[in-house]
Amino acid sequence: MNLKAIRRPLLTLAALSSMTLFLVACASTAPVCGSPQSRNLNTAIDGVQTSLINGCHAHFDRYYDELLDIAEGDPKPENKREFSEFLVWSSDQGLLSTRQAEDYYNRFFNVKFMSMRGDYNNCSHTCPNKQKVLFDMERELSDKERGLLKVSRDADGYYRADQLYQEVELVLEATCNACAAGR
Amino acid sequence: MMKISVVRKTLSLGIATLSLLSATSSFATTPTIRLFPTTVVEDLRQTGNVARDMETGLQEVIGRLDQQQELYNESKCDGAENDSGCQRLARQIGATYLEMLTIMEERLPDMEHTVNNTKLSLEKGLRNELGKKMTPWKLQETLVGGKASEALPQNTPTLRGRSGMRLSERFKQYYQLVATSGAKGDQSLAVLASDIYLDMDETSLLIQRTRQEIARATLMEQLNQSFGIITPEMIEVVGGVKSILFGDEDAQTLVAGPPPGSVEQAYRSPLEQ
Repeated sequence: MNLKAIRRPLLTLAALSSMTLFLVACASTAPVCGSPQSRNLNTAIDGVQTSLINGCHAHFDRYYDELLDIAEGDPKPENKREFSEFLVWSSDQGLLSTRQAEDYYNRFFNVKFMSMRGDYNNCSHTCPNKQKVLFDMERELSDKERGLLKVSRDADGYYRADQLYQEVELVLEATCNACAAGR
Repeated sequence: MMKISVVRKTLSLGIATLSLLSATSSFATTPTIRLFPTTVVEDLRQTGNVARDMETGLQEVIGRLDQQQELYNESKCDGAENDSGCQRLARQIGATYLEMLTIMEERLPDMEHTVNNTKLSLEKGLRNELGKKMTPWKLQETLVGGKASEALPQNTPTLRGRSGMRLSERFKQYYQLVATSGAKGDQSLAVLASDIYLDMDETSLLIQRTRQEIARATLMEQLNQSFGIITPEMIEVVGGVKSILFGDEDAQTLVAGPPPGSVEQAYRSPLEQ
């Protein structure tokens, strides 16, 4: 029997075996980052926390969105606290920075707009970007509708945020006109 | 011919400012941001006086126009324009209309002057207090007033959406606004100052355009006087002025506050800013 003829199938077999071993190894270490199965918010949060500390932290955004979905199914004021505690836990675990945790919370559950954060004065910073600021606020208002109204049943809070958006729009228009006139 | 909106805006501007004069005592209790210094208050007072004079003069003329129009209709002059009696009535209406334009023409320069003064004073305040001294976050906090989680008081009056309201009702709303502004603090002042400033800015432009239009409208009506014609534009303008002075039945006022909520909000997250 020719030596070459024997070597070729052996090499093929070895390559296939290596690939199989490699794939098996991968499958055993990759975390399963499935969606929470329970429609109960507390249980769902427990499940998500387990997934997050088992290596699914890259899926944080998706989990947060899914938790909001679940909470919309049972809206109540206490949900605010559940989300706050979940975010504080995420921050303590080092999954989020404090600032990120604040952003996640305030964007959905606070009347004030995170889009209005800035360290410079309005004439120099906000006015040149007025349209973008207002556009970002409008998007944030949708998140507040979800967080305040649909998840927490905080109608007052949501309507106050809506009014705040309108007031900011009016005041920025006047202030930016005044800034422009003074140049 | 002048547009109704131009006439309406011109008339309503001073009425808005007039009611704000008494705001000074309330504003004095919230000294944190200085959007209404004495100069602004004085400018508002002057604008208000000019507007009141104009309103008083126009109200009398409008009353006469109403009577003449009624007589014209009762005499079945519609469609009988060639009748000499009807032509005479039409000329009388035209003459009163000219009188209305003249009153406006006389008062507008004063009003333009005081409106511009008010605008400039407010402009300076807004630029310094809200534009240069505040970050966007600070501005937002000023508007929220440190009570973000609390609902606004119901029936909070606002300046926006004045058009079409009876004058007496408008004054009543302004009074309520002013009477409660001390308790509401800086957030109301910022909105109020912005609202008045934008109103004055727009009004200033409208006055300029109105003055140009009045000259043309006067010439047109002088020509019409020769033929005793009542033009549809004339009736339209008079109708617009009337709706400002006596209110518009069909007009709806804007909803000022949010609908009542039922949920108590006691929880405050440590993450909340």
